[in-house]
Amino acid sequence: MLRPFFYVAPRTKAELLGILRDEGPGSRLLAGGTDVLAELRVAGKAPKQVVDIKKVEAFQGIRFDPGEGLSIGPRVTCADVLASPLVHREYPLLATAAAKLGSPQLRNRATPIGNICTASPCADMAAAFLALGAWTEIESARGVRRVEVKDFFVGVKQTVVEPDEVVTRVVVPAEMAGAAGDMEKLKRIRGHDLALASVALVKHGGKLHVAIGSCAPTPVVLPVLPVDAPVDEVKAEALKVIRPIDDVRASAEYRTFMVQVFIERLMARVEPQ
Amino acid sequence: MRIRVRVNGRDYQQEAPDHWTLLRFLREGLGLTGTKEGCGAGECGACTIIMDGLTVNSCLVLAPEADGTVIETIEGEAVAGELSPLQRAFHKHHAVQCGFCTPAMILSIKAFLRTNPRPTVREIQEAIEGNFCRCTGYQQIIEAVQEVTGQREGQEELGHA
Repeated sequence: MLRPFFYVAPRTKAELLGILRDEGPGSRLLAGGTDVLAELRVAGKAPKQVVDIKKVEAFQGIRFDPGEGLSIGPRVTCADVLASPLVHREYPLLATAAAKLGSPQLRNRATPIGNICTASPCADMAAAFLALGAWTEIESARGVRRVEVKDFFVGVKQTVVEPDEVVTRVVVPAEMAGAAGDMEKLKRIRGHDLALASVALVKHGGKLHVAIGSCAPTPVVLPVLPVDAPVDEVKAEALKVIRPIDDVRASAEYRTFMVQVFIERLMARVEPQ
Repeated sequence: MRIRVRVNGRDYQQEAPDHWTLLRFLREGLGLTGTKEGCGAGECGACTIIMDGLTVNSCLVLAPEADGTVIETIEGEAVAGELSPLQRAFHKHHAVQCGFCTPAMILSIKAFLRTNPRPTVREIQEAIEGNFCRCTGYQQIIEAVQEVTGQREGQEELGHA
């Protein structure tokens, strides 16, 4: 059962930024709600108010700008990503990741931006965004700033986003359009489950980009490597950035092993365009 | 907040506290208790309903978020005491054991079949991955789906692999 709070749903970005300026620390932003409402229930505590950002018109839509790249707004759901021909054509890894997230019911509500804002180590969209070199645009009444997704996560469920700020876009750079990539996600069952370990891998423009989930306090990304880097070198680089733990879902040893298996599989399977 | 929703073709207007979930509003506000609460955290899918054409876990939607939406629940399935074809198929194939997951299972399958009227077994399995049946009657549920899609011609009931 949820503890009482007030519900507000600003209609414009200006109105939202005003609310966050005045009452940021007592406010919890709500987009898809699939993480926020579960968390409020489990934590048994409540913010003063839940601020629903889905009424802000400017927050909708998936757009492509040939100079900038693919821009995804905070209202866009994982189901929207999956339904977008543009995503499938230019950034297929995002569709692959969105399809691996949750169940149909969750994908109909959950948003890619919410997924990174929750900042779970196992965030499926985070691995894809990291492998594609995405960045976020973060706004407050104080102004706008741009933060690379690789610098976005601070710790388990912690991000650089301040209480008066909101992530207004996530952008995948134009130079990654058409990038060949794929993702492996280890689960306990074939149905919906959180990742025990995941690897997203992109080969594009002579470069190799590898991101790993569920193996450190945050999703992590390897330094950019040459596309023809030997598999053993890629695995060695992965072992330098992961810090897996034993928990109820898997042991650190199993995670470490499977990350290497996934790297081998993806290195063999992904063909640069 | 005053919530206005159309549920199973009927318009409702009712006050609800801001922090109520849509699930609680349906059950305690409107008295539509066919939708069940299982885990309350988006894992089990027992609270699945169709909102504006899409399945959602109603435990993860706030009642105020549902204001102005069109909702389908299990109460809209049988008409004038007659089971729907999907319900009849569940009955025929023994796809109901304890029954707790059934209302949500029906709603997930109903929404799924609108987009994919001739699914493969694998596609049916994926369509109900967000609905747990702890009696584990999945095989019977899949058979029931195949019954309504006309994909079980010539096959016996309970033809378990």
